[in-house]
Amino acid sequence: MKQTAGSLSSAGSGAIESTNEGIAAEARRERVRDQLREMVTELIGARELLWRLTLRDLSLRYKQAVMGIAWALFMPVLIVGAGALIKYAMASVGGGDLPLSRLASMALKSLPWAFFVGSIGFATPSLISNMNLVTKIYFPREVLPLSTVLTQAVDSLLGGGVVAIILFTQAEIPFTRQMLWVPLLVVLIVLLTITAALVLSCANLFFRDVKYIVQVILTFGIFFTPVFYEPELLGPIGCKLMMLNPIAPLLEGLSLSVIDGHNLIYPLVHEQHGQQVLAWHPLYLLYSATWATVGLGFAWYYFHKLEFIYAEYI
Amino acid sequence: MSRPAVQVEQLWKKFHRGEYHDSLRDLIPAIARKLMRRGPARDELAAGDFWAVRDVSFAVEPGESLGIIGPNGSGKSTLLKILSRILRPNRGRFVVRGKLRALIEVAAGFHTDLTGRENIYLNGAILGMRRAEIDRKFDDIVAFSGIEPFIDTPVKRYSSGMQARLGFAVAAHLEPDVLLVDEVLAVGDAVFQEKCLERMQEIAQRGTAIIFISHDLQAVTSLCQKCLLLRQGQRVAYGETSDVVAQYTTECHEEHDRPSENANCRLVRTTVSGPSGGNQMTFRSGDAARIEIEIEARRDLAQASIEIYLHDRSNQLVFRASTLQLGFAPCDVAAGERLTAAFDISVNLQAGVFGLGVGVRRIEHALNYFHQAWLMPWKVLQSDGASGVCYLNCQATRYEVLPAAGARTGAIGQASGL
Repeated sequence: MKQTAGSLSSAGSGAIESTNEGIAAEARRERVRDQLREMVTELIGARELLWRLTLRDLSLRYKQAVMGIAWALFMPVLIVGAGALIKYAMASVGGGDLPLSRLASMALKSLPWAFFVGSIGFATPSLISNMNLVTKIYFPREVLPLSTVLTQAVDSLLGGGVVAIILFTQAEIPFTRQMLWVPLLVVLIVLLTITAALVLSCANLFFRDVKYIVQVILTFGIFFTPVFYEPELLGPIGCKLMMLNPIAPLLEGLSLSVIDGHNLIYPLVHEQHGQQVLAWHPLYLLYSATWATVGLGFAWYYFHKLEFIYAEYI
Repeated sequence: MSRPAVQVEQLWKKFHRGEYHDSLRDLIPAIARKLMRRGPARDELAAGDFWAVRDVSFAVEPGESLGIIGPNGSGKSTLLKILSRILRPNRGRFVVRGKLRALIEVAAGFHTDLTGRENIYLNGAILGMRRAEIDRKFDDIVAFSGIEPFIDTPVKRYSSGMQARLGFAVAAHLEPDVLLVDEVLAVGDAVFQEKCLERMQEIAQRGTAIIFISHDLQAVTSLCQKCLLLRQGQRVAYGETSDVVAQYTTECHEEHDRPSENANCRLVRTTVSGPSGGNQMTFRSGDAARIEIEIEARRDLAQASIEIYLHDRSNQLVFRASTLQLGFAPCDVAAGERLTAAFDISVNLQAGVFGLGVGVRRIEHALNYFHQAWLMPWKVLQSDGASGVCYLNCQATRYEVLPAAGARTGAIGQASGL
């Protein structure tokens, strides 16, 4: 029979006060292990709930809605349209022509960006908007931001299908082996999105102004993310700074591997106005992957650790 | 004996009065304070904190039902939230053995834009049911809720009673080892409430431990064997439901200030004497009692008669009688004069707590000079094993087995009256 023990606060604080630090450290490690185990088992136990909440959000999005299923394509189309306009303007000012491959690259990058923006936008208030659940019923609260990400992922999958068809039929992008990078990059983008979703939804529960800050950042974030342009345009230092944005290497990686057929294991140096610009380096990818894995671990751990006071602070 | 399904030992929980800092600009001073370690320890009170639950302990065996009663704000729901792990206690520990399901607000998990059908699945998932489990029980749930024709209508078009029915129907089909129920029956109609109580009894008989919070003392009495009375977060009484409920009712009515005077008249004396004489407030079913009342008029009262009332703990009028109806003509009383009356009654009441009230009326059903219920609480103890609403002083005069048709007659046993 499963046995759930309540928080043993008296036992816990007793251990910390103990003069023997070795025992205290051991006790702390034990607690962390217990919590990690609890996080995983609870999340597995809540998979039905996660699925139901996603289904709820999806059916609500398409119920009583003018756009219906077209909603899934609306954001990517809007972003691609805006990007194409900017590209066209830049090309006509610069007097150069507009290669189709650049448009394709932008379309490819704007889809995960739309996914990221949409997920964060819905995930940030997710704990607050389900306040009645959070204060009344116990379940792992991770499922609330997770389900918004999942909902957005279903939408993006539709958009992804359309983008893929356009890329292969209209832009005539050739199949290469480098496309095998795509699954890894997609997984990392999703993990990174989940990390941000957990951190921001939790922060917004304690500080209600977080959602306004998030809105501003998401609106202007597209200028600090290489969606409409290639980072090498910013010069050698600008390019590296741009890559500090954890999502930037993932978007660039997508574009380089799919459109340019570049193997992401090797660095790529571009000549830009006579300067050598490091357009790609595998360390970029490693940097993003660290955010998406280690960052997710920390975010999830602290999200779960704070769960007990959500109902009190909400 | 098996181990208790729920064991709570010296649980403490504090809350904060007023608002927490909840925008980012309050964060920096809060972090600074935290870094300076100026804040109070986790289990001590800071300014503005108070204990919502103070040193509460109890245990519930499998198959047992525990009622938790107490006035609003006494910490009942906080206790349940701690048990269901929504809140974390500041001190003390608790153990829950087996699967716990909490029913804190039936319609909490509903999304009003979804249909009843979709909400059954959603709410089931929130309460921890698997898809296959819901599929299997779906028809039972719909039948129990009694809203089949509206199952594909969005819940926003339901009445609050229908929502409560659907919510409870889902919860009633959980199969937990421990079930927490917090005042969820209030919305449904009487028939549905009855059905819910029956359902909870069934669940308890399957070996589930139930913790039931309610202000409906009738429901608590019929469902729970044991009862816990909380007041300001503290355990005031814990034991047999009937005793605890009686104590609560008495306290409730004692607490209120019952003025014994108004501008018209002043109650000088109310004496109740029973078989053991004296000013008695405890009776056995069937006892005889004499109630004597003396009232001083503060101004001229015309056509006055004196009334007595008995209310039960749910404030239902159990009995009312007046001097007028018992054959005494109404009197005119001048200011300063006194009016006195005596009533002889048989306390044909079942065990419980009742309140004696006194009134002065002009004539039947007209002006009330004075009216005060629950002036004096009466405690009635059971005198034999009879139960029900009233005590009819029943004597058994015959008890025998009759032979099958055609066989020889012969009395097997005969009980004498008590």
